[in-house]
Amino acid sequence: MKKILFQAVIIISLIFAVWYVLSKVDWMRIFKVEQITNKTEKKLGDLFWELYNSAEKEIKSEEAIQPLDSILTKICVSNNIDKSQVKLHLVQSNEINAFVLPNRHLVINTGLILAAEDEGEVAGVISHEIAHMELNHVMKKLVKEVGLSVLISMTTGSGSSEQVKAAVKLLSSSAYDRNLEKEADIKAVDYLKKSKINPVHFANFLTRLSDKEPAGIKYFSWISTHPDSKERAEYITALCNKNTKYPQPVISRQTWDNLRQYLSEKKESRP
Amino acid sequence: MISSEQFIYPPGEHEAEKASNSYLMSLIALIAGLPFPIVNLFATLIFYFGNRKGTYFVRWHCTQALLSQLSVLPFNSFGFWWTISIIFSSETITNNYIAYIFTLIIFNVAEFIATIYTAISTRKGTHVAWWFYSDLTNLFCKP
Repeated sequence: MKKILFQAVIIISLIFAVWYVLSKVDWMRIFKVEQITNKTEKKLGDLFWELYNSAEKEIKSEEAIQPLDSILTKICVSNNIDKSQVKLHLVQSNEINAFVLPNRHLVINTGLILAAEDEGEVAGVISHEIAHMELNHVMKKLVKEVGLSVLISMTTGSGSSEQVKAAVKLLSSSAYDRNLEKEADIKAVDYLKKSKINPVHFANFLTRLSDKEPAGIKYFSWISTHPDSKERAEYITALCNKNTKYPQPVISRQTWDNLRQYLSEKKESRP
Repeated sequence: MISSEQFIYPPGEHEAEKASNSYLMSLIALIAGLPFPIVNLFATLIFYFGNRKGTYFVRWHCTQALLSQLSVLPFNSFGFWWTISIIFSSETITNNYIAYIFTLIIFNVAEFIATIYTAISTRKGTHVAWWFYSDLTNLFCKP
C-alpha cells in the first residue's frame, strides 16, 4: 500500500512539476496573445466609437477640449499612464454620463461637465474611467456579457449591427459589477492623490448627485449606472487624508467658468 | 513505465481479444470525447461493468484501463472548465493556462501511446503492467 501511495505522489508531483516548468516559458509572447488581444480591442473600439459618434454630436472646439485635456494630461503624467493612447471625446448630451469604450476611448457628455461644480469633480470621474481602462474592465465586461465568440465575429465583420449596438449600449449605459466599480474607485482615489487633486471633490460629486436624483429624472445616467453612490462617497471620503494640503487646481477658476459658459451656450443654441 | 510480465495463467484467444478491447474502448472514447473528459470515463466504465464477471485476465485489464481513465479525469476536467470560463466569462488567457493545456497534452498523448501499445500486446496474449496502475489494479482485482 505504501508503495502505491508513494507512486501516486510521484505521478501527481510529476504533473505539477511539468506544469511549473512549462509555465516558466513566456507563451503569451510566443503566441502573441497580447498582440492579438490588442488588435481585437482596437477594432472593437473603432467600431463602437464610429457607431456612437454617428448618433451623437462630438464637440471638437479647442475651447472646450483644452481644459479637459489639461486635467487628463495631469492625471496621466502623474500616474505614468501613456496619455497619447487615450482618445478623449466630448459629446453634446444633457445626460450626466461618462464611459469608456475599448481601445481607450474616453467619452464625456457635456451634461456631466455642467452638473459638476468644479474641475476636481470632473477629475474624479475621469480618474474613475481611466481606472476602468487601466484595470482592463472594459474588455472583461464585454467578454463576460457578450461572449468572446460574438466579439471576434464583430471584428471580422460577420457580427450583426444589432449586436454591435447592444454592446455599445451595454458599455455606455450599464454599470460594471460592484467589485469592479469599487476597484476603479480605489484606483481613482490613488490617481487623484498622485495628481495632487483632492479626492474629496469626487466624493462630493457622488453625494450631491445621488441626493439630487429624484425618481423619474432620466439624465442621471452616471449615477444610476453606478449604484450605491452614497456608500461609494463614504469609502472615498474615508480614503482621503484630511491633513493633506493640495496645491492650486489643475485649471484656473476662470478657465473652468469659461468652459461651463461655453457648454451652456452650446446647450441653449441646440435645436 | 510499462512492462510485459508473465500472467498467473496463459490467457486464451477469446480472453486476449476482450482484454484488448477494454483499451480500444478507452481509445475510441478518448477520440470521441476529447472535449468532454467525462465521456471517456463513462465509456470505459460501461465496458468495465459489462466484463466484471469475465475471466481474471479480462477483468484485470478492464480495471487497469478504467483506473488510468479515472486518474486523468480530474486533470482533464479542470482544463476543460478553465477553457469554458475563458470563452464564456471574464477569465483571460494566461501563461499558466497555456502551460496547463500543454501539460495536459503531454500526459494525454503519453497515455494514448501507452494505451495503443497495451491494446496491441494484450491482443497477442501478452500481459502488460503499467507502473503504479498495475499495483493499484492488483489491489482491486483478485483472481
